[in-house]
Amino acid sequence: MAVPATVQRETAPTETSSWLNRSLFTTGAIGGLVVVYLVAVGMVESFQSLNVLTDVLSLGRAMIIISFLVVGYLASRRLQRLGHEAEGPRLAGGIVAGAVAGGVSALVLLFVNLIGVEHVRRMFQSFTVNLVDNVLSFGQGVAFGAIAMVVGGAVLGLAGAGLALLPDRLRRATLTGLGTAIVVSLANTFIVAVFRNLESNFGLDIPLGWLYTGTGLAYSGLVVMLAAGFAVSWWRTRTPPEPEATRVEAMSGERSLLGLVRGRPAKVVGWLALLALLVLMPLIVGQFLSQVINTVGIYVLLGLGLNIVVGFAGLLDLGYVAFFAVGAYATAILTSSASFLGGPFNFWVALPLVVLIAVFSGILIGAPVLRLRGDYLAIVTLGFGEIARVFIASIWLQDYLGGAQGILRIPGPPLFGVNLRDPTNLYYIILAFCLIAAFVAWRLKDSRVGRAWAAMREDETVAEAMGISIINYKLLAFAIGAGVGCLGGAFFAIQVGSVFPNSMDLLVSINALSVIVLGGMGSIPGVVLGAFGLVGLPELLREFEEFRLLIYGAVLVALMILKPEGLLPEVRRRRELHERELEEEQYEGRVGEGAEPVLRAEASEDEEKK
Amino acid sequence: MADDTDTKTPEPTEATPGSFQRGIMRLPVRTIILSVLSIVLLIFIVWGTSRTLSLEVSTFSGDGWKRLISDGVARGAIYALIAMGYTLVYGILFMINFAHGEVFMSGAFTAFFMARWLDQTGFLNESPVISLLILFAVSMTVSTTIAVVLERVAYRPLRGAPRLVPLITAIGASLFLQNTFRGFYGASAEAYPTIDILAGSIEILGWPMRKIQLVVVLAAGALMLGLFLFIRKTKTGRAMRAVGEDKEIASLMGIDVDRTIVSTFAIGGLLAGAAGILFVYLFRGGSVNFFMGFFPGIKAFTAAVLGGIGNVVGAGVGGLLLGVLEAVGPFLLLEGFNVPSPNQLQLLISFSILVLVLIFRPGGLLGSADEERA
Repeated sequence: MAVPATVQRETAPTETSSWLNRSLFTTGAIGGLVVVYLVAVGMVESFQSLNVLTDVLSLGRAMIIISFLVVGYLASRRLQRLGHEAEGPRLAGGIVAGAVAGGVSALVLLFVNLIGVEHVRRMFQSFTVNLVDNVLSFGQGVAFGAIAMVVGGAVLGLAGAGLALLPDRLRRATLTGLGTAIVVSLANTFIVAVFRNLESNFGLDIPLGWLYTGTGLAYSGLVVMLAAGFAVSWWRTRTPPEPEATRVEAMSGERSLLGLVRGRPAKVVGWLALLALLVLMPLIVGQFLSQVINTVGIYVLLGLGLNIVVGFAGLLDLGYVAFFAVGAYATAILTSSASFLGGPFNFWVALPLVVLIAVFSGILIGAPVLRLRGDYLAIVTLGFGEIARVFIASIWLQDYLGGAQGILRIPGPPLFGVNLRDPTNLYYIILAFCLIAAFVAWRLKDSRVGRAWAAMREDETVAEAMGISIINYKLLAFAIGAGVGCLGGAFFAIQVGSVFPNSMDLLVSINALSVIVLGGMGSIPGVVLGAFGLVGLPELLREFEEFRLLIYGAVLVALMILKPEGLLPEVRRRRELHERELEEEQYEGRVGEGAEPVLRAEASEDEEKK
Repeated sequence: MADDTDTKTPEPTEATPGSFQRGIMRLPVRTIILSVLSIVLLIFIVWGTSRTLSLEVSTFSGDGWKRLISDGVARGAIYALIAMGYTLVYGILFMINFAHGEVFMSGAFTAFFMARWLDQTGFLNESPVISLLILFAVSMTVSTTIAVVLERVAYRPLRGAPRLVPLITAIGASLFLQNTFRGFYGASAEAYPTIDILAGSIEILGWPMRKIQLVVVLAAGALMLGLFLFIRKTKTGRAMRAVGEDKEIASLMGIDVDRTIVSTFAIGGLLAGAAGILFVYLFRGGSVNFFMGFFPGIKAFTAAVLGGIGNVVGAGVGGLLLGVLEAVGPFLLLEGFNVPSPNQLQLLISFSILVLVLIFRPGGLLGSADEERA
């Protein structure tokens, strides 16, 4: 059926050509274009206000620096693949590629200056005088900026090539150190807020002056963070002292964060700490961050629901916002005094009704589209999502759904006089429902139903032949997915206190999809990771907000190409996606070493069983 | 995996797997829902139409309906042009290029700056034909470039990957392109300068239409005819058809599959770029922004599906049909029910058509042998 993809990787040629070859210039030119892109799309200037190292390095410039480093690294790796193992040519290749990248960016800079920033700006609005004169040219004139780019590119290219020459473990540790420093510097406001709360709520006064000055890291902070990241990575990649088997077990235990405690004292302590952290979260992070975490929680719920549909059953639903909308609007109509029903119920009475309505709508939407294959299904569900929005916003149904004005005055859930509108209190309710939903999803995954879904996802025809009723299991996936996802909508309605058609757009579906793709489709810890990474982080870094969707898009494409199973993959899913590679590997193994591949297959099966 | 996990599962339906199989789920849910749905729809369509047509005071006279149809044909021609991109790519790679709407947007959005410049120099109204040709050239170049880069960067590494993977990539690429152009050109909507000779209406054989509608229909018709001949007559066209049939065999026959796929994307981009210019001049106000590609993209996809995806003639027919249905449908169906502002529900019409076609006739109207695949 499918034609094997043309293998992209060049195999090492038998005869070695000169190290100064076209690949260096291609790599450099592409790198230069990436830098130009980052500038033109406006990231560099927007991120200029984020300091990595106070008064020395902004995130905007750091992005350019990282691009040049990557160019040098890739150029060096490429030379290695072309058969140049020696250090000299590989370092020189890094310099050349870096200089080319710098040259391309410098040319664009000079060109922009030649035409005049004002003229360029009429089209590419990101080019400002400040960007060209200060950010890129350090206030020393454009010529200086151009030279700095070429020289800087060469130097950074050399550094990148140097990185490529380091032994794996050392390189990983170095990169982890750098990454830690950047992340900690960006998490500045978050960390400061947390420590302020620790002080006011627990009386812990921990000075942070050594870590941050102004809005970025201080030198001492930089050194400590580099060292910390380096040390942790170095320690984690140490050669295992234990026999192979126990290490595999430890690793798989680590993968399933929600897996049962495996009788190790360290693990028990870890789980208790996590529990304490979850319970004390609002006290630690305070009002504003609680709200952010609640939003993350809402997306965890949406992600868990969508994960059942997409991750477990393999039905790509792009109209998940429909269930979100059903949850939010059903809650609003049943509880708000502003709705046409006059708010007959309180939240707790309404909730089961909301879930029932959502499950019913899931079946209603699912039933007609059951026979459709993957990509058609995606577009049709996208259509359903949009239809839901059009209905909600229409003047026609304004009397019932509020039209563009939405429905206001949604009361918080009553609970012994506790004000659940307060995000620090609402947090516990959302957390409880997230845990329930995660538990349901976790139990479903390996149940009879979950296995039926997996079979269906991998091959519908075969699954049907094995006696699995495709229609019932698809409907079930839609129904349960809708039931879980509508909770996200319900809590959204409570958190905001009102619902509007504008909040029910395609972006909700895209966000939820990105969340589960980042973490890994079918993986429950992945949903949590994805929600924190894609929903939580942009809320914290306002500068990122503008580029949030751009980054989502890039993340989706990059993940699908490089690591389609996600960051915290589910084992079975990973094997599915790498089936061909596994087969190839086994084939090569069989050709090479006889019986060895059988052993390897067994080992990976053990891993799956945890 | 022990079976006893089943009974512990908190899902109520799971408590007794046996009754789950035998119980209400045994009912032909799908058939029931489908039959009810089609009956309700049929009643709705007949009833709505008859009520609207029997209205004493209709908003539209005979001339008004004719105008609506002209509008429908013109927008249908644009949908058809964009739909070619979907259908060609689907015909060869069997993937939905979700980002094709953004290919369309990129050309029109970029050409805006050229149009503005031409307008400021006064050239636009001095020699409007040459200006329009320049705009077409700019828009088509940009769209083609974007389409080709898209293929190279996002889709080529994924050939032969499981189905959902390229689709998710396409969604990501769509987001990425939208926001790239938002970053480049800004988030606000910009209005194309007007071209005087395109304003006003004419009558052809007693049928009223705006001049621009005529231009759109003629230009789109010429382009589609060109495409049809290209696919039928040229070597590249034949290669495209061969690759669509079977990539492996085609490559054994000496066809460069990669290059053929690139040219497919390029042709889709070319047509989308042309559609972009026609689009901005067809819709009064002709504003462009980074999100402008989304809905035309979805509608064009609907058109492609309606005509039978993978089928070039089908995409043309589907586009025209969708355009007319979309222009006339809301008024014809809904006005009889006194639904306020029916044009708000235009989008609903196209999505409903999409859903209905996929449910009842997934192979499309000119159903190819593809039906099995759906």
